Amino acid sequence: MLRLPAGRAEEADGAEGGTSMRAGLGQAWRGLRLLLSARSGPCSGAGRRRRRLALPLCSGLSTMARCGTEPRGRPHSPEYRLYFKNAEGKYISPFHDIPLLAGSKEDKEVPAKRSKTNGSEVVFNMVVEVPRWSNAKMEIATKEPLNPIKQDIKRGKLRYVANIFPHKGYIWNYGALPQTWEDPRHKDKDTGCCGDNDPIDVCEIGTKVHSPGEIIQVKVLGVLALIDEGETDWKIIAISVDDPEAQKIHDIDDVKKHKPGYLEATAEWFRLYKVPDDKPENQFAFNGEFKDKDFAVEIIKSTHEYWKALLHKKADGGAIKCTNVLVHDSPFCCSEEDARLIVQSAPPPASGDSVSAEVDVWHFLNK
Amino acid sequence: MVVEVPRWTNAKMEIATKDRLNPIKQDVKKGKLRYVANVFPHKGYIWNYGAIPQTWEHPGHKDENTGYYGDNDPIDVCEIGSKVCSRGEVIKVKVLGTLALIDEGETDWKVIAINIEDPEAAKYNNIDDVRKMKPGYLEATVDWFRRYKVPDGKPENQFAFNEEFKDKDFAINIIKSTHEHWTALVSKTTDGGEINCTNTTVSDSSFCISQESAKATVEAVPPFGTANTIPPEVDKWFYYQKN
Repeated sequence: MLRLPAGRAEEADGAEGGTSMRAGLGQAWRGLRLLLSARSGPCSGAGRRRRRLALPLCSGLSTMARCGTEPRGRPHSPEYRLYFKNAEGKYISPFHDIPLLAGSKEDKEVPAKRSKTNGSEVVFNMVVEVPRWSNAKMEIATKEPLNPIKQDIKRGKLRYVANIFPHKGYIWNYGALPQTWEDPRHKDKDTGCCGDNDPIDVCEIGTKVHSPGEIIQVKVLGVLALIDEGETDWKIIAISVDDPEAQKIHDIDDVKKHKPGYLEATAEWFRLYKVPDDKPENQFAFNGEFKDKDFAVEIIKSTHEYWKALLHKKADGGAIKCTNVLVHDSPFCCSEEDARLIVQSAPPPASGDSVSAEVDVWHFLNK
Repeated sequence: MVVEVPRWTNAKMEIATKDRLNPIKQDVKKGKLRYVANVFPHKGYIWNYGAIPQTWEHPGHKDENTGYYGDNDPIDVCEIGSKVCSRGEVIKVKVLGTLALIDEGETDWKVIAINIEDPEAAKYNNIDDVRKMKPGYLEATVDWFRRYKVPDGKPENQFAFNEEFKDKDFAINIIKSTHEHWTALVSKTTDGGEINCTNTTVSDSSFCISQESAKATVEAVPPFGTANTIPPEVDKWFYYQKN
């Protein structure tokens, strides 16, 4: 029986935890606990098991850290795919088979990681798609079985995000929270727009530049309500629990304090990033204001609900591939062998093509 | 222009003025390989950076514009074109203007230039064209040079002319005088101290050597090897309020 990390006494940063913050967190935390309380036991993945709402568990931080990837095809080509494997070497989907919540009380292997958050902070798994400062638009392929990471293609060309002066590529490690889905048939009450049909996006603001396919543990700090080409596209702001400053950064105001200018740059980036592709500037709900951690956790909760409905065929995902290996109660669960066949049908790995010099152009947009 | 540092990289590569044949090497400070800090919102160097050959900022000469002595190096160039050039590339550039940096108390002119091969090069003829077509770039350049050493514990740098960029004609005059200083250096009219003036084509220079001799110099140096990884602390982004 998985016991969720309850509000514990161990607080790495003492007074910074704060009563009021904990109280605010408590509410979101209680909600999440209810949501996930149906979980039971670590899954071993051997065949299907009839269990009520047995959500996948690759149990614990250390196991997540050992999740590996297998590249196929040539990097910077349309055929390139990055498949995921769990600690036992089984192919899994980064969209469906990685738990949204990281960590379990039973995880004794990496006690050190625990001390980087205070006891009541919720830690999520994040799938890294794009390293900070790179340009290739890598993303979880939601419409392919096992949802490997691939490079987005638009108008027949591999997509690279523009460098919008003064920025170079993406200005955070960028990725997604697993087991979430912005349902395109739901009109969001805050943005007035329908979901963008993808897992919820995350901007990880820590120092380290991560690699595509990494699964990292993050603390959520806040959220920006982007309306990207008329679709709801929440951007979660988070920081890796291993970041040297993680102990000082707990909510959106801490980001303003410790990284002045970063949130403004983030809003500017999302507003302008498609302009060089002849798209209009994007818009935001809440006047472009960043909402705090509690608000963000609520948003994550609802996208997790949409995902659950998807996996249990209660929502129509259209072309979304719900193939998974560990959500045993899902009608889309497949065998290890089937998963292996999917990966083996991809082209063998090869070394990368060089990237066109166009990708280096710096776009100066008159403000 | 000799390209030393490609745009957006951090390794402080420079012409080794004190080494025979002046190869490019990575600067070492306090026993460690030097990487320039990322000062938010910038990532590494924000232009292709390098030097104009056959120039020298004479350390014995007090510059009448800045009031400070030269920094003992060739004159520096910030190349603002689209292409990210490679280390060691020798490219032709159009000079557009110059910034009078005073780096740790030494005169350190920064010439602003554009690669003649840049697709928009024809539209750039003077410093105002940069303001017009790349708004914010010159301001970012001043900001960068003002703050880039602060993460190393150094103070903010200063500038002459109130941080104003001087135009092309002014820049060309500066380049001309640093060229004259270099001419004096290789003809031994001036003492360059530890500067190594070995060359293979300035035939009337007493420092001129043969190709065979040059080849022997290169072959005496360790062979090319696989690169070390860059330490992850190089990726740190420094934030602080500007003064």
